[in-house]
Amino acid sequence: MPSDTTGFWTPVALSRDLPAGTAMPARTASGSIALWRSASGRISASADRCPHRGMRLSHGFVRGEALSCIYHGWSYDQAGHCLRIPAHPGLAPPETIRVATYDVEETGSVIWVAMGTPASKPPRLDGLVPLRSLTAFANIAAIEAAAGAKASPDGIVEIDASTGTISLLLSPQDGQTLIHVLLKGDLGPAGAIGASRAAESLRRRAEGLQKKEVAR
Amino acid sequence: MSMQAMIDEWYPVGLFSQLDRAGRKTALMGEPIDVACDADGNARVTGRDGRALPVRVRYGHVWSSLGEPKKELFPIPEADQPGRRFVDVGVVRVRCSPLRAVENFLDIAHFPFVHTDILGAEPHTEVQNYKVEIREEEDEVWATQVKFYQPQAAKSASGGITTEYMYRVPAPTCSVLYKTCPPRPSEWDVITLFVQPLAEDLCDVWPWMALFDDETAMTDLIHFQQTIFLQDRSILENQIPRLLPLDPGMEIPTRADLTSIAYRRWLKRHNYTYGAQLVAQ
Amino acid sequence: MKLYDYILSPSCYKVRLMAALTGVKLELRPVDFHPGAEHRGPELLALNPAGSIPILEDGDLILSESSAILVYLAAKAAPVWLGNGAAREAAQVQQWLSFSGRLTASLGSARLHEMLLRPGDIAALQAQGITALRELEAGLVEQGLHGKRFLAADRPTVADIACFPYVALAPDGGVTLDPYPAIRLWSRALRALDNFIEMPGIHRLHELKPEPHIAPGEA
Repeated sequence: MPSDTTGFWTPVALSRDLPAGTAMPARTASGSIALWRSASGRISASADRCPHRGMRLSHGFVRGEALSCIYHGWSYDQAGHCLRIPAHPGLAPPETIRVATYDVEETGSVIWVAMGTPASKPPRLDGLVPLRSLTAFANIAAIEAAAGAKASPDGIVEIDASTGTISLLLSPQDGQTLIHVLLKGDLGPAGAIGASRAAESLRRRAEGLQKKEVAR
Repeated sequence: MSMQAMIDEWYPVGLFSQLDRAGRKTALMGEPIDVACDADGNARVTGRDGRALPVRVRYGHVWSSLGEPKKELFPIPEADQPGRRFVDVGVVRVRCSPLRAVENFLDIAHFPFVHTDILGAEPHTEVQNYKVEIREEEDEVWATQVKFYQPQAAKSASGGITTEYMYRVPAPTCSVLYKTCPPRPSEWDVITLFVQPLAEDLCDVWPWMALFDDETAMTDLIHFQQTIFLQDRSILENQIPRLLPLDPGMEIPTRADLTSIAYRRWLKRHNYTYGAQLVAQ
Repeated sequence: MKLYDYILSPSCYKVRLMAALTGVKLELRPVDFHPGAEHRGPELLALNPAGSIPILEDGDLILSESSAILVYLAAKAAPVWLGNGAAREAAQVQQWLSFSGRLTASLGSARLHEMLLRPGDIAALQAQGITALRELEAGLVEQGLHGKRFLAADRPTVADIACFPYVALAPDGGVTLDPYPAIRLWSRALRALDNFIEMPGIHRLHELKPEPHIAPGEA
């Protein structure tokens, strides 16, 4: 959640959902980004658009420390410079061929992308263990109403389940909300499954409230 | 963008073999149209308020226009050559600009990545120089001496070969490709993409072919072409922006993209901007 | 074994994929589903009155329904793909085989509508598809918590093959896969299997091959 005027961190994904050597689409307030982790484990976030013919880079593939576009195989390093154009193997791609990149931080097993220039680091989420991410067709207000609790300044809503308190880290996404489900410690498979199902129940309630709100 | 300049062009609106009396509802650039045949088997196309639209039946397809075409439908002489087999590949709808669909058809650098192990494969990714021109008399874009190494270029090819191509754009949403014909090396196989613009970001694509191939079953020929097009479809539906940028800046071409550069320049020259975007909107 | 097949049919692809993964040789008999509607013509209706493909012919046995064909291939060539035989795993395989029918009805019909102009209530089909994808996502999350990477076990079974194609091709019908991380990882695990084959709309995982090195002089 925005906490200052110069910029803020948005939690886009869980670390566990982005293994080394893979790319995935992620959504931020300014649109889609291509989130990827190199073979050595370093994360990058780039604009989700190859400057060649506009293909979504999140559909691309990671080889070594570079992300390649699925359309013509143009590859980019983590700073967004174009490294190679397969149609012209001998050519050093001009500096002008670049993708915009965003600052990324990985803390608390959550991946955060910077919008603008945040004044500080992302929240630490000490003691919280990520379980899964899910997307709700509901805004934050509907989720708060369904949870019966307001989100903290860090964007966390807590709900009580039979297995204990579950923390939902919320990230608004243009009419939808990305929910990262975090647990206070290791609950074992049964407890974690209970928490996952509690989060699904909350989503159902929130989406029901959102529908009613829209229908009014 | 404006459709003014494209109103008087011919567009494919259906397969002649599938016409019936009941008719089929479709659209051209946002206007609902109906495509049917009359009691004598002639194709009839009607627009809004039942007005009769011009009709041609050619290359296995029914063609029509929202305006008054000043030229006849473009010729493909190979369509009259004895011994050729004609293949109606069947319509595929794509949520993309009709101009993006044509431009993808003109591109070869994507073969190793999108049509992997069929039309191209790593490490044979280099696109050698080729010739492009806008032929002023016919007013068409032509690319010639295009070459690419392919593991399995056609159903009639027995192994990997360097295929030679020519590309031709005779109308804003149509392209004709001529490729090396393995059974008859002095002839060209003809593969076309006829694109029906439904909206600026939605089109029906009607591929068609005129081939020299007496061996391969018709269904196999259809499926080969459908395979290629379906592989392209998931690219086409993920290009941003949806509309084809006709001004430089948003997208960066290289020498491998000479055909697409000429196509965009030709579109802009003619004000064929339905499905396109310009910098000054 | 002869498979009446359409290259663009995800249900036929389930069979082709299963055969490739288990080393079964299939004779493919292409069916002109589109534009020819051959599956509804006299020859194929005589074989399968349901008018559907795939159809598998093995001697005097004629099988329709892709799930049944997957089970047949596994039972004959690689029974480990049916699960470990215990009641629990057998039931989970069956649960997801049944579930796969909902993927066909929702995501499959949405794809036919958006791509091949077949009739349908597209908004309803897409909504049903999203519901099904969410259930699959939750199922995979729970399997993961039990230390299992696939739907019924820690190795793939016919249940995964039955569900994979329509899920992977959901975007063809206008249903995005972006919001499902567990599905993404599961799909990747399947696509990385030895002897995996693609179908049009499912790209090769190019990252599985290292960056090619071209010697000087080679094109």
